[in-house]
Amino acid sequence: MLGYILGRLFQAVPLVLGILVLTFVLIHLAPGDPIYALAGQSGDAAYYAAMRAKFGLDQPLAEQLGIYLLNALHGDFGYSYTHSQPVFAVIADRIPATLLLMVPAVALSSGLGVWLGVQSAAHLDGPADHAIVAGTLLGAAVPAFWLGQLLVIFFAAGLGLFPVQGMSTARGSPTGLAGMLDVLHHLVLPVVTLATLQLTLVTRLTRSGLREALTEDYVRTGWAKGLNGVQVLLRHALPNALLPVVTLVGSQFGTLLTGAVLTEIIFAWPGLGRLLYDATLARDYPLLMGIFLLASVSVIMANLIVDVLYGWLDPRVRLR
Amino acid sequence: MISRRPFAALGLLALALAACSPGAPAVATPAPTVAAKPAAAPTAAAQVIAAPTTAVAPAATTTQPVRGGTLVIAASADPGQFNPAITTAGGTHFVADSLYNGLIFLDEKLTPKPDLADSWDVSSDGKTYTFHLHPGVKWHDGQPFSSADVKFTFEEVLLKYHARTKSGLEGVLDGIDTPDANTVVMRFKQPYGPLLQRLDVVEAPIVAKHIYAGQDPTKADANLKPIGTGPYKLAEYVKGDKVRMVRNDNYFKPGLPYLDEIDFRIIPQASTAVLALEQGEVDYIQGVPGPDLPRVQQNQNIVLAQSGAGSGGSFCADTMFFNLSRPPLDKPEVRQAFYYGLDREQILHEVYFDQGRVAKSAISADIGWATNPNVQQYPHDEARANQLLDQAGLPRGANGMRFQSTFVHATSYAKYGELMKQQLAKVGIDINLLPLEVNAANDQNYIKKDFDLGFASYCNGPDPEIGVRRMYVSSNIGPILFSNGAGYRNERVDTLFDQAAAAVDRVDRGKAYGEIQDIAAKDLPYLPIVETLGYRAWRSPVHNLSYWSGELADAAWISK
Repeated sequence: MLGYILGRLFQAVPLVLGILVLTFVLIHLAPGDPIYALAGQSGDAAYYAAMRAKFGLDQPLAEQLGIYLLNALHGDFGYSYTHSQPVFAVIADRIPATLLLMVPAVALSSGLGVWLGVQSAAHLDGPADHAIVAGTLLGAAVPAFWLGQLLVIFFAAGLGLFPVQGMSTARGSPTGLAGMLDVLHHLVLPVVTLATLQLTLVTRLTRSGLREALTEDYVRTGWAKGLNGVQVLLRHALPNALLPVVTLVGSQFGTLLTGAVLTEIIFAWPGLGRLLYDATLARDYPLLMGIFLLASVSVIMANLIVDVLYGWLDPRVRLR
Repeated sequence: MISRRPFAALGLLALALAACSPGAPAVATPAPTVAAKPAAAPTAAAQVIAAPTTAVAPAATTTQPVRGGTLVIAASADPGQFNPAITTAGGTHFVADSLYNGLIFLDEKLTPKPDLADSWDVSSDGKTYTFHLHPGVKWHDGQPFSSADVKFTFEEVLLKYHARTKSGLEGVLDGIDTPDANTVVMRFKQPYGPLLQRLDVVEAPIVAKHIYAGQDPTKADANLKPIGTGPYKLAEYVKGDKVRMVRNDNYFKPGLPYLDEIDFRIIPQASTAVLALEQGEVDYIQGVPGPDLPRVQQNQNIVLAQSGAGSGGSFCADTMFFNLSRPPLDKPEVRQAFYYGLDREQILHEVYFDQGRVAKSAISADIGWATNPNVQQYPHDEARANQLLDQAGLPRGANGMRFQSTFVHATSYAKYGELMKQQLAKVGIDINLLPLEVNAANDQNYIKKDFDLGFASYCNGPDPEIGVRRMYVSSNIGPILFSNGAGYRNERVDTLFDQAAAAVDRVDRGKAYGEIQDIAAKDLPYLPIVETLGYRAWRSPVHNLSYWSGELADAAWISK
């Protein structure tokens, strides 16, 4: 097991390196010069030349890439053009807010999704099953930003149950326990918005996985032995059905880190998704590279954890 | 067994719905900034001459300012850092300008009023400006402010890093003297009329010498722990989320500020900000999207004002420009035909939701002294457009079109592009729409110069010298954004701009600008379409916001 993990981590290094180089090339291929984000749009030629020299943008690309990689090895990920701060600090500042949004969303979508999938498979073709299937289709079809706006209009602006935006209340700035509850209050609508699509996917995967597992011979043996529904369904069939779900949830962790941008924009949530979007518009190369590095590392780690979990869930899978 | 058919139908319906949901995020792209309105500052444009047009006047219970309270302001972009002297970014200035002052404050009518400078004299030849600074001003850390700070700010910071001040003053400023701690003398190589319009906190904020001396101002720690002279001090900054500022008890203007605290909340999407205002989560927003405007106008608790000025750029006009090197656009008759062919009233109504006015000349109507009231106009006249195009030797082809032009533009101008295409098709001009991401569009228009028609929001600034000159002078043709993108060359215009800058008297300057507008109206290298006016909205208990300037909450108060 340990050997397997170490081997995978070892493989990850050239992968991350390749991603960085590819990202660097792609970003620089895009039209648009970061000097305008950096130095504003009102300058003259002399001003931009001076700013270019100052930020090392006049050096040849290969040299810029080399300098970046060398510095990255020392933990120096460069200086964000738009934030006047080291990239590491800028990203680190946004991670707590992102995790605060992401973890409950994944937990909610996975937990509720598995439960719904089990209900659906347990009462296959019953009214509950049909309702859940129809619900998942609707949930998958609704775009995140539309759902978010709807929730805001109905629950926040309409019923006044939740705040319209932000991570905390502007007035009074509550601290301590009141502050935490305030953040939780603000968290509800964004988490629901973010969780909806994943919820539908997890539900359907669990349902179809269980449905298939329930046709296996060992399940019939279980019924024959006189095991009750809970034991057959949850203890025997579900772990096998969950393999694709685990893959899905693992990939969610990787992509949601930077992928919640629409939700973050609607709810003015200060997360990494929005940071990525703003950095792209401003062509803030160092920040972009930093965020892509973080995203690729998290996807790789998530996949590694998923593969290890596979081995635990299904003893037939041998990790090599 | 329950029939599966209804559910198959439901499934197909859901699939159809899914197909309708666009994949790419089309959300939250504010109007691409452009000249002097970078990164994410949405609207914010001209007006100011009239007093704020309030849609709803609240029952004024008291006119005596009340001390205390917190003002919550919605900012559309993260400031990034708090040194406004090294950048022209609207997002930074909107927040950071409350921490500083300029030598001068421009009131709603752009009249210079005292800020850090109590009074000033101009020599009779217009080459020497003497500023008498307010005595006893202190920085937030208690250190005394003096003329040395002004000299340092200009020489070491503004003239190196502030794009507009550098490009504007570098060639004309001879030197800055500080005969004593409260006097600053600026000497120019020629008479320089526009100076007073360039000295407010947006164009020339004053930073502390004792903080920045010997350091690189773009990388100093003080950029995140700012020390200014302004009405508020920085208390807390959570990136991407909020900025909290508290009252500066030693502010040099007696009795000010009234508020205990101002909080900026970063809300990137304008419609979310409107909802937040309606729900009372924020007190002030800058920019009301057209579709939300009627609802906000009917809200009894919200006061509206229109203004064209702001910390990101003032008196902006959305302008289409021609690539003068591409036939048939090199013919003036053809360009005039374009202008006649456009129905700008319809554009103002459909695309801009009436948030602006049809542009009448090359200089914004808000800079009253410089506007030429007799400049040639181009009302919507299809017959005249057709006539001009026929005269130019461009007959209609088999498909009814005379020629094709490619319109390269940022995606936020897509609605304008579509409406223009419809309008110009009637006079036989086939517009090929090429919407691109904003950086790509600017790149193609200004750097690669691979376009027929381009589009940009050119902000005049408080003086035409600041924002209009760069469009028309032949020395500004080059691979620079928001420069002379049309490639227009006219010696007389070049000379007139120099004359206008070198005169001090507004009558003389007005004459020069007047002639420029006449020439521009004949040659039409640029077609100013609409002068954009943004709405500012605030909750009715809030009073006295200086929403046209950088010092938004300098004298604001909230009634109980």
